[in-house]
Amino acid sequence: MPDTTSDTTPLLLREGVLLGLATTDRTDAVRQAGQVLVDIDAVEPAYVDSMHEREAMVSSFVGEGFAIPHGTDEGRALVRRASLAFLQFPEGVDWAGQTAYVAIAIAAAEDEHMGVMSRLAQVLLEPDTAERLRTTDDPEEVLALLAPDPTDPTH
Amino acid sequence: MTTIDGTAVKHVVVACEAGMGSSVLLTNQLAKRLSTYGVTVSHSPVNRLTDDTGDVVLCHAGLAGRAQQAAPGTPVLAFNLFMGDPAFDKLEAVIRDGGTLDA
Repeated sequence: MPDTTSDTTPLLLREGVLLGLATTDRTDAVRQAGQVLVDIDAVEPAYVDSMHEREAMVSSFVGEGFAIPHGTDEGRALVRRASLAFLQFPEGVDWAGQTAYVAIAIAAAEDEHMGVMSRLAQVLLEPDTAERLRTTDDPEEVLALLAPDPTDPTH
Repeated sequence: MTTIDGTAVKHVVVACEAGMGSSVLLTNQLAKRLSTYGVTVSHSPVNRLTDDTGDVVLCHAGLAGRAQQAAPGTPVLAFNLFMGDPAFDKLEAVIRDGGTLDA
């Protein structure tokens, strides 16, 4: 694994955590997720198009009510600053036949996000933690639960 | 169809479209599982695969055609679910016990 720890700025910040949202469908949820990345100045607006394009190829639903919409390989060029956004839809949204309650939008040009993705991979194997993320109304709890594990060798 | 004996698998590559999202998650989960057998796992965008990238390629069924085209001499094992797909158990079983992985 390449060393990705040199930049210590967290990729998920308080401004990227939006809880208790409503959405009409998967396309709208991806649009909202992309808009947050635009709003926090992480990506060019065209990155959102590449998120829709990627979603049309293969659903980004990964299990436990989580989807991880992100751009295509070409979309990497539209990333200004590696970032994540956490959007929670407590009522759920149909995501290609599955129900998603959380969309974690990813903007990464290289492998800057390995630490937090490693943590997310772990969270998806911990049903209680995943449930907290689907239902909490406290943004600080989201940040704490998804903070990269400093003892993780992949971080 | 390309085949490989499970005991010859030393490096597994998880491929997805961008190599940014799902493949990263899966790489993390599989790396922990397969490190017991001395097997390493990395991730790659499907278009950047070559036959030298790894001994086996894992990728979503929707991208398996593109993966096989990019790495024609490497077995491509397709899965449908990011968590709990039987393909992962099958891969672990042939790595652990030996046997042919025909993908």
